[in-house]
This record gives sequence, C-alpha cells and structure tokens, in this order.
Amino acid sequence: MAAVTFTNITKRYKDGPKAVDDLNLQIADGEFMVLVGPSGCGKSTALRMIAGLEEISDGTLAIGERVVNDVPPGDRDIAMVFQNYALYPHMTVRQNIGFALEVAKVKKDEINRRVDDAAEMLGLTEYLDRLPKALSGGQRQRVAMGRAIVRSPQVFLMDEPLSNLDAKLRVQMRSDIIQLQARLGTTMVYVTHDQVEAMTMGHRVAVMRKGVLQQVAPPQELYLRPANLFVAAFIGSPAMNLVTADVTVEGDDVFCSFGGHRLRISPKALDRYPGLRGRHGTKVILGIRPEHFAMEEDLELPADQVLTFRCELAEAMGAEVHIHAVIDVAPPTVDGAPTTAEDDPEALVTGTKVIARVDGIHTVAMGQDVRLAVKTHLTHFFDPTSGEPLR
Amino acid sequence: MSVKRKGPKATAIRVLTYVVLVAVAAIVIFPFVVAVSTSFKRPTDIFTYPPSLVPKQDVTVPADQVGTDGDPVPVFTFPGRDDRPGEWALVDADAPLAEFRPLDDLERIIVLDAAAGERTGATITIDGEEEDVFLVDDGGTQVEAYRSRLTSGGLFVSVDDPDTSVLDLVNFATPSKEFGPRFENFSEVLAERDPETNGKGVGRSLTNTVLVTILVVLGQIITSILGGYAFARVQFRGRSTVFLMYLGSVMIPFVVLIIPLFQLMLQLNWRDNLVALIIPFTFTAYGTFLMRQFFLGIPAEIEEAALLDGASRSTILWKVMVPLARPAIATLATFGFLYAWNSFFWPLVIINSGNPDNAVLSLTLSTLGGRSSTDTNLVFAGAILAMTPPILVFLFAQRYFVENSASSGLK
Ligand SMILES: Nc1ncnc2c1ncn2[C@@H]1O[C@H](COP(=O)(O)OP(=O)(O)OP(=O)(O)O)[C@@H](O)[C@H]1O
Ligand SMILES: [Mg+2]
Repeated sequence: MAAVTFTNITKRYKDGPKAVDDLNLQIADGEFMVLVGPSGCGKSTALRMIAGLEEISDGTLAIGERVVNDVPPGDRDIAMVFQNYALYPHMTVRQNIGFALEVAKVKKDEINRRVDDAAEMLGLTEYLDRLPKALSGGQRQRVAMGRAIVRSPQVFLMDEPLSNLDAKLRVQMRSDIIQLQARLGTTMVYVTHDQVEAMTMGHRVAVMRKGVLQQVAPPQELYLRPANLFVAAFIGSPAMNLVTADVTVEGDDVFCSFGGHRLRISPKALDRYPGLRGRHGTKVILGIRPEHFAMEEDLELPADQVLTFRCELAEAMGAEVHIHAVIDVAPPTVDGAPTTAEDDPEALVTGTKVIARVDGIHTVAMGQDVRLAVKTHLTHFFDPTSGEPLR
Repeated sequence: MSVKRKGPKATAIRVLTYVVLVAVAAIVIFPFVVAVSTSFKRPTDIFTYPPSLVPKQDVTVPADQVGTDGDPVPVFTFPGRDDRPGEWALVDADAPLAEFRPLDDLERIIVLDAAAGERTGATITIDGEEEDVFLVDDGGTQVEAYRSRLTSGGLFVSVDDPDTSVLDLVNFATPSKEFGPRFENFSEVLAERDPETNGKGVGRSLTNTVLVTILVVLGQIITSILGGYAFARVQFRGRSTVFLMYLGSVMIPFVVLIIPLFQLMLQLNWRDNLVALIIPFTFTAYGTFLMRQFFLGIPAEIEEAALLDGASRSTILWKVMVPLARPAIATLATFGFLYAWNSFFWPLVIINSGNPDNAVLSLTLSTLGGRSSTDTNLVFAGAILAMTPPILVFLFAQRYFVENSASSGLK
C-alpha cells in the first residue's frame, strides 16, 4: 500500500487542449479517493497516468516514495478495473484472476491458493471454471475485481466500474467495493461521473472540470461548503438552484431580489458568507438546495422568507414532491455543470428553472400557486463573474 | 430454435424448399461421388454397361471346394438356362470343346467335349463345305448334328454340387459380381514411380506438397501475426504509409511477378528446389491485413489490462492476442493452405519436369492424367488423395468460422 502524489501533473494530447492541467493531489496511503467530474474533464486521463497507460507531459507522479513517471505499467504494482471489465475472453475465471501471478512466475499451487482466496472473498468460487461469456455483468465485474485484488497491489484504480450494471446491482456492488477496500486497506482511486457513487464511496472526493482540479474534500464538506460555483452546481441531485439576484443591504438585513421576488437572508448565512455584506447594489448568484425549500405550513417563517411560485410541474416521488417552477430572470451559466441553462436552452429566454423538494404528504397541482418557505440560513452565494464563494 | 410459421401452405413451401435444396446438393455432389467410386474400381470395371457407382469384383470360391487346386476360382451363372441353376465355378478356362449344330435347327449350338459325338459316316454340305454328321447327346436324347467349330472354352463345376460339371463358351456365362473396392489403386498411385509395379510416384509428391504447404501456412501465420500486430498496435514513424504500400502490393497480379521472381530464384540457385515454393509465399499482404483488422477489433483495454498484469509485449501477443485471434488465424490458415496445396503454375515454372523427386502433387497429377490416362482408376485415386486434405481442413476450420460469427456479438 502506498500514497499517490500528483505534483504539477499536466497531460497534453497531440491535438487538443490540456486533458489534465497542473494537477496537484495527494492521495494518502489507504485512502479511498474518488475522482468525479463531467464527461471529458480528464478523470480517466488522470487515472491512466497513475496506471502508466498515458505518458505524463509534465510534472511528477509518485507512488509511495518512488517517482514513477518513467516506470512501465507492469512495474508499478497497481491494479486497474476497467469500465468494460476487459476480461480475457479466452481464459476461464481462474486463469483470468491468476494471469498476473502466472506472468510473475509464481508457483502453481501458490497461484491456486491465492486465486481461491480471492474467489472466496468475492463469492466467485463456483464460477472459477467458466469463461467470461458465461457470466452475468455483475459476476464479470467481480472477476475484474478479483484480478485486481489477487496481486495485493499498492493501489487499486477503478474507472467507472459500475456504469455497465443495472441500478440494483450497482447499489450492491457499491457497498461491496466499500467493504472490500475497508477490509484490504489498499489505496483506491475511483473514477466516476455518478455523484451518488462519489458521495457515498469516497473518503475524499476530487472534483475536476476541464482538466483542472476544483476541490478536494470529504463528501459532506463538498456538499456543504462548495469551493466554487462549479462544485456547487455539480454536486447534488437534483442540483442546487442557482439564481442571479440583486443584493440590497439595509442595516443588518440583507435582501436578495430576483424576478419580482424578494427574500430576506438570515444573518446566519452571513456568518458563512460574510462577503455578501459588501455586495450592496451588485448582482450575486444565490444558491438554494432543493431540500432547503419547504411548504409554508411545514416551516413557519416570516413572510419575507417565503416565496410564491407557480408550479409548472409537480413530481410526486412518494417520500417527497419535486416542485418545478420558473423565475423570471436569465439563468447563470456554469460551464460543464448541469445547470438550467445547459439542460434546457429555451430556459435562457424564459427564465431560471428552480426545483423545490417538499414533503411527500403534499399534493400540488400543475398551475397552482405554492408558497415555499426558504431556509435562508443554509443558502450559498457566489460571485457571478469569478464563481468564487463570497466567504 | 426460433418459432416457425405453421399451416399447410408453410409446410408445402418448406417441403419444396428442401426438395430443391436436396436436388441441387445431389447434382453438385454427383461428380465427387463418381470420382470416389472410380478411384476404387478395377480398370475392367470402369467402362462397363450399365454403369455402376459401386466398385465390383468377381465372385470366387476356394479351389478345393470345386475339386481343383490353385487360385480361387471365379463364379459364373447362366441366366435363362433353367437346366443350369445356381452358380458355377470356372475351373478351367481353356478346356477343349466342340460346337455342334443340330441338323434340324442350325441356329442352335450344342457345346460338348471336343471328343464327344460319334460320326455316323454321313456328310452334309453347309455353305459349300462338306461336313461330317455326328450323333451327339443333347440333354439325354441323341440328335444328329454337325461340328461347326473346335475351340476352347470353360469347364464349369457347380458350386453346390462339385460332381456336376458342364462345358460351355465362357461368354455364354455371366460372371457373378460382388461389392469389391480395389484399395491397391491407392497404394499403386502412391508407390514409387516404376513402370514394373505400375507405381505412379504420387507419394513422393504428396510428401513434398505437405511439406511445402505446412511451411507456407506456418510462415504466413507467423509473419501475418507479427506484421498485423505491429500495424495495429505498435506506434512507429511512417506506419500508415508502409501499411498502405504493403497492402497495395495485393494489386499486382502474380503473372507480372513470374519473370522477375524466376530470375531471382536463378540468382539464389533455388530453381528446381522446394525452397522456391516456400520462401516467396510466406509473406502475405492479405493475411497481414486480415490479422491487423482483427487485432484492431480487440478492445485496447484487454491489452492494457495485460500490461498492468505485468505482461511483456510478446506475452501479450502470444498469450492474449493470438488466442483471441484464433478465428482469423483459422481463416488465414485455410486460405493459405488451399493456395499452397493447389498452386500449379509457379511449381510448373520453377520445378523442372525431369525432376519428379521435387514435383508437387498438382504437377504429378497433371502428368498422371495426361500420359497414362489409361489408368483412369489411378488418376481418380490420385485426385481423391489430393482432394481429401483440403476437405478435412475445411471441416476442421468451419468450427472456427462459426465460432467467429457467433462470438462477434459479445463484448
Ligand atoms: N487519446 C486521446 N487523444 C486526444 N485526446 C484525448 C485522448 N483521450 C482523451 N482525450 C481528451 O482528453 C480529455 C479528457 O478525457 P478523459 O477520457 O480523461 O475524460 P473523462 O473525464 O474520463 O470523461 P468520461 O467521463 O466521458 O469518461 C477529453 O477532452 C478527451 O477528448
Ligand atoms: Mg473516462
């Protein structure tokens, strides 16, 4: 087991912008690190540089104490699980798992013993003599993991290993991988674009965008204290509602107005975002998580912290209802993040879409006016041009 | 199996389809059946009428069963002679006998021992010749007849009752035939070239062809795997240019190459030598292309996984890529095999016809059919020998072709 250290790592493909741009990242020994970001942000490239499958254009990469820039993949003592499993189709499960040991000229009975152990751990014992084509997707996935763990490598690398599985199996495998990593204590670098995986699996999560690292933090912190507008918009599902708002400071009170609405911000929010005070008369981006709305009758708040929206669409999910509404103001664009503007170009003209998650006991009809209380002490504020939080 | 259409109309269509298919198959396979059957026939058996697809031989009985000694004795029947039922063994094909013609029916012939009959002393004039009249035994009655001919014929002994014998002209009897393939056709055609033993020297040519074919196919497989892998996965400067040039060489027809290739062989002193049939054909642009395309189709991740497993390039190639490429290799081997096995023109050019030791099968067969075409059975035996390996190869390789198309749907 070993730490993985990126120091000023850059990757330039021949034709194209930098896929990874000046990446500095310390992955501790035994840590479960998740790399997350929108498609094309360079997560796979970063992972493949650890594996040695991509040349490093600039910077140094160390596994443990050893700088591995020029070490071929086979000598790095790492194991990787690919999205499409990449099993050897002509080998049985046993041969697949044992291949690395066979290449390393480990003795036959030693190989058998270790393959049996790995298979036992993954519940593959009865499939050892099958070919990959006679296995289900989940079983193939486990064989790929068996191939990784049998070598007891320094680092596990996984590139979207669960994205080919159906939803139920994905949940199951997710917890299996967490437990496996906890048991083995091996450093893990896990790439995904699924933020549920990112939030639930990682000790820490690294958010990337266009090759640039945005924030590295434990999942909860990422959610509660996004380092910038991009992270705020990217993390969370449904995503954080982002609205361009005008700020007015009246004595101790700060008000945000947008599209005919006016919202008083609780002073507690100002403790977290003191920068907001100095923004009188300017525009900021106000971020409200969908779950920080509530029906007025559920959450008694002063009237200046309640917004009235026309319900455009109500999705009853059972435990909760998602109320969609539109605010009559041009939406902010956050490149690469799933914001209103990107999902729905027409919204650019018509306004900013917001989603409120309220308790499932309510029935809301389309076209109905709803009064939603806002937990303003939990709101976020960002600079509209730089995307920096107003801390 | 999928669900099938039902109902009388569908059944009729299906029956019709099969009838047509079977008919076409029968027509297509008929020449092959004739070739196989002829290759097992005796020379005397080939042009018989009515023709038969079944190779036949004479029925014989052991000599001592019919009271003689020596070789087994051929068996005949006398169809239409109710007085001579059953089978008769020809114990002596050269027995002296006499033909008598009764005076009351000059068309009829009575065949008896040459010494049979008693002269009555009378004479009769037949066609201007004066002939003695004999009193002969005609199935128990004595009739007057004249002796139209003294000749030799067959002495037949009844197989069922060796004490009964008759004399008759051999061509009045019908030889009994039974199923009897002549395996010597193959040993003769294979045997060393020798007019005494009727050996045709195909064995030597077969050995040469097998040797040439195996080496050509192995060479093609190895060079195509290496070349195809390099063109598919190894980065080097000018790769696509070199590949296009190599592939472009497919466009050059072989006839254009014959003279330069011949001169090259002269320079290397390879004329009249099997090496000239092997080395120039161990490189194939087509095979390289085939292998390259197949390797390109193998997901890069599989190779990367092997790389991470610590495998070297050559381990990856031989332990991962080549086993995966088995269908392509089988295809390549089949085509290479057929090409090398059947190639005729180049061996004809480069192997001197006076040098049968280095001749290959196609050459030997052509001379066999040309010069000694009297031995039709041997020509066909040689042809069957030449045909069998390609058929076996096809049957064997077919498995891989099927596997190929069946596994292509998998990831
Ligand atoms: N071999 C290559 N040559 C040129 N550009 C490449 C190559 N591989 C990746 N890229 C580019 O590098 C960038 C990062 O790619 P990468 O595969 O790391 O993205 P990713 O974050 O893994 O995306 P995804 O979630 O879709 O897998 C992309 O813009 C991609 O187009
Ligand atoms: Mg990727």
